[in-house]
Amino acid sequence: MTEAVPNAEDPTAVHVDQFLPHPARKVWRALTEPELLERWLTMPNDIKPVVGHRFELLAQPVPAAGFAGGPVQCEVLVADPERELSIKWGPKWTVTWRLVPEGTGTRLFLSHEGFDPDDEFERVSRRIMGGGWRSHVPRALERVLSALPG
Amino acid sequence: MSGVPVNDDVFAALANPARREVLRLLLEGPMAAGELAEHFDMRRPSLSEHLRVLREAGLVTEQRAGRNRLYSLEAAPLEEVTTWLHPFERFWRTKLTNLRDLLDEEDL
Repeated sequence: MTEAVPNAEDPTAVHVDQFLPHPARKVWRALTEPELLERWLTMPNDIKPVVGHRFELLAQPVPAAGFAGGPVQCEVLVADPERELSIKWGPKWTVTWRLVPEGTGTRLFLSHEGFDPDDEFERVSRRIMGGGWRSHVPRALERVLSALPG
Repeated sequence: MSGVPVNDDVFAALANPARREVLRLLLEGPMAAGELAEHFDMRRPSLSEHLRVLREAGLVTEQRAGRNRLYSLEAAPLEEVTTWLHPFERFWRTKLTNLRDLLDEEDL
């Protein structure tokens, strides 16, 4: 099992989590059934929760990251039902979902790993912000942002 | 490359560690200039200058409260900066909100 320790200082990964007031069984279906996955990820796909399954995902562009989108070749690396799903996402990224029961719901942890710390985007942000900004402000900022309407 | 315009004044304001520290303190809630000053080993006029730069960049707002000036964080420009710094984090956050909505709507 991949142990993804959230670390705000790691420039090669993005970690996000979300509490979902639903059992892991439902969350797992939303992650592993193509039609359901497409509805929230808005990316057509033919995923199967089977290790070694290769599939194509039509990714949306993320212009702010300089990511053009388009078809991405994926492969299922880990499929531990209702607990962990890890996918090789294109040539360099790994996207891992961990489902952890919390009360009557589930906390879903996402780790998007494999970013190049030397790319332009990272260098610019480090130069402008310095280390301190990245390490503690974004977490606190998230709390403010999550309290904003809309 | 970036689809999110961030004002140059914002980056200039953020480039200074004392001003970032002011923003970090204001994340806890609005503070009077005097309260902020207690966290810094600098003369009041220097802090006032930093607050002016932050205000002009739109990162904080100032309100008069009696004899005091109360400073609050202005979230919108900071949100643009976070999107610029962490586009994928914002991306996944949006997706996870979609997922929550889908699960709330559907009886799976």
